[in-house]
Amino acid sequence: MITVGLDLGAGVIKGAMLEDGRRILATASAPSRGNPVLAARSVLDELGETANLAPGEVDYLCTTGFGRYSIPERNLQVSDFTSSARGAVFLFPKTHLVVDVGTQASRTMSVSETGKVLKFKMNEKCAAGAGRFVERCSKYLQVPLEEMGPRALAAEHPKLISSVCAVLAETEIINNVAEGVPLPDILMGVFLSLSQRAHSLMRYVGIQPEITLVGGLVRNVGMVKALDDTVGMPVNVTPNAYYAAALGSAILGHARLLKLSQSTPGTRG
Amino acid sequence: MSVVVAGVDIGSTTAKCVVLGEDAKVLGRSLNPVGVDIVKDAERALEAALADAHVSRSEVGFITGTGYGRYKVYFGQLVVTEISCHARGANFLFPGTRLVIDIGGQDTKAIRINDKGEVVDFAMNDKCAAGTGRFLDVCANALGYDVAQIGPLSLQAHRAVKVTSTCTVFAESEVTSYVSRGKDPKDILAGLHASIANRTLSLMQRVGVEPEITFTGGVSQNQGMVQALQRRIGASVNVSPLSQYLGALGAALHGRDRLRGGAS
Repeated sequence: MITVGLDLGAGVIKGAMLEDGRRILATASAPSRGNPVLAARSVLDELGETANLAPGEVDYLCTTGFGRYSIPERNLQVSDFTSSARGAVFLFPKTHLVVDVGTQASRTMSVSETGKVLKFKMNEKCAAGAGRFVERCSKYLQVPLEEMGPRALAAEHPKLISSVCAVLAETEIINNVAEGVPLPDILMGVFLSLSQRAHSLMRYVGIQPEITLVGGLVRNVGMVKALDDTVGMPVNVTPNAYYAAALGSAILGHARLLKLSQSTPGTRG
Repeated sequence: MSVVVAGVDIGSTTAKCVVLGEDAKVLGRSLNPVGVDIVKDAERALEAALADAHVSRSEVGFITGTGYGRYKVYFGQLVVTEISCHARGANFLFPGTRLVIDIGGQDTKAIRINDKGEVVDFAMNDKCAAGTGRFLDVCANALGYDVAQIGPLSLQAHRAVKVTSTCTVFAESEVTSYVSRGKDPKDILAGLHASIANRTLSLMQRVGVEPEITFTGGVSQNQGMVQALQRRIGASVNVSPLSQYLGALGAALHGRDRLRGGAS
């Protein structure tokens, strides 16, 4: 049984293709660049190519994320909380707390052993603590996004940011540059600031190990280090956690498909 | 003894200076952007205002510093918070003022004052760029306008577009998405001004809305903002060409009080 999970986030579209809700056949992503539906099509095509499967061989498509209603041929849509939680538990079965720092929202949820959401807290009103803040820093500090993490690791005295607001922080960061604060210290300050925002969401839900980081910033080593330091314990990270919500929705799609095929014998999908 | 006094207001975005002569007459003023070297910006503000007033430095009897960078006005004899200075300045220009709205480059304040220009209560937002001049700057940029253009343009709107994001960063994306959907920039601008007016009103309500209301700070020079605010409050607000200098004016007046108090 082949299921695809498609995560239509605010900045990037992510997809995962699973066999029998367990084995990862393919993952793919594309920036939405103002046209999430087009980006979603390219992700679906790439998944098919990687797994060497024709579109007709996909049994079930489950969407999630901000733009989950924008794909007409979907079989099911689930909220990003539900899918991220399920994906995190699939990757790290002992997960109790999931942290998702996305482009435009950051969220955290406590989860059951089966990956059900127990309690959650989200910030979608303010760019402080969201990936958009990192993108902006990358622009005005002129450091490519993928270099920000590695360069932050060289920080000796991280320069903490006193402003919470992403816009006011910008002025503060530019002043720090003008005062000659080394770039790695500034970059680590940015990640610590994000971590502190995430930490306050986490405290609201209740901190209980294991903690799994999912979403856009899992590949950023600077963010992971800052989060470890802020929370005071290592956080689970794996490259596939970038696709946690897509994986989770593929798994949930598979579960739904199983249920359907049991209730109506003889049909499939 | 000289009766010439100067007030220097170092804001987050601009440095203002006002020079007052006999009878508190405004002899000269200056307005400059603030850079990284605030100490130098403060000196430049004073020199420019003195040049405007045709007054030499030695004739100035007292200098007061105020604003976000007030402790960098090293040449001054007194430091007063911008809250007290805006209160004093508003009372001087519009003696009936009971509520001062100061929308600056990076913060917003609502200050309730008495008939003597003393502060009774105040509320302020300096944590978040939403509702400040910075919000307008960012959105003007996103639309490709200079910040001075957007107020008048917003007044030509036919139907304001509702801006739902509070956060400046998200509002910027929202603005861009409206542009790509073919919305008229004038209508978007009207929506942005209405959004700030909303936030300003809730700040005002924290201290109590009481006429007369005097609008100060850099954003008070934006006609679109004045009108959006008046529409939202349902009352007129006092504005003067000196509104942006009210902090500096108030500082100079506080210095004048001190000087006269000391002399008598």
